[in-house]
Amino acid sequence: MAEITFFFIALCVCVFALLSVLSRDVFHCAVWLALTLLSVAGVYFYLDAEFLGVVQVLVYVGGIITLFVFAIKLTAKIGDKSIVQVNEQTLAAAIVTAVLFYLLFKVIAVHPWVSGPGSAAVVSLKDIGNSLLTGYVLPFEFISLILLAAMVGAIVIGKVKK
Amino acid sequence: MIPLDYFVVLGAVLFCIGIFGVLTRRNVIGVLISIELILNAANINLVAFNRYLGTPDGLGQIFAIFVIAIAAIASVVGLVLIIAIYRNGKSVFLDHFNLMKW
Repeated sequence: MAEITFFFIALCVCVFALLSVLSRDVFHCAVWLALTLLSVAGVYFYLDAEFLGVVQVLVYVGGIITLFVFAIKLTAKIGDKSIVQVNEQTLAAAIVTAVLFYLLFKVIAVHPWVSGPGSAAVVSLKDIGNSLLTGYVLPFEFISLILLAAMVGAIVIGKVKK
Repeated sequence: MIPLDYFVVLGAVLFCIGIFGVLTRRNVIGVLISIELILNAANINLVAFNRYLGTPDGLGQIFAIFVIAIAAIASVVGLVLIIAIYRNGKSVFLDHFNLMKW
């Protein structure tokens, strides 16, 4: 049963990701990306990372997809069917990607992974909160600083100049 | 439970799909969408390694949270840049972006 669930989620991730890369209309791409991110949240729930799954749904599907939809709608004309959406290097890119995946797969197949059930303990939400505010408080604060900088930068860049 | 390498292969598949998108898209927003796929592939690996080999303080999940924050920042700044360039040049296609070329 656990295997079937995993393979179903993995199939969803791969199919939705392929659709979001291959579909012609950029708006459809954003919708397929939302479904991909929801499936990845499913992977997180499967791996007992509930907090991360909720963060994924809130930040990605709630925030970033909305941003993408706004950007797609603000830059008009790009959903037009007559415009070519891919460049002329599609075949070369497909070959490069296939070779890259083959190499990655060989490395993963050769490496002796730990088998059997997850040996590490399940990390609870309490542990994550404790770690974020004790051991990793400096990167946590640094991220908030970067977020502030990005916010100010976005306003400055996006402002209409008189 | 599923062995760890299945998750690593899933991450590799998602990464390769994202790389394909970055290489083939003409539209900048499509490229940003593909970059989000790549970051999610990295996140799947981080969370899977944390579940199977991780320490009790959950370093893998904390890293994944940081990656999500950085991805949000990247897409915000990227989309604002796209809108600013679109306002000047009326295009969102990468092969029209030659304003830094003299």
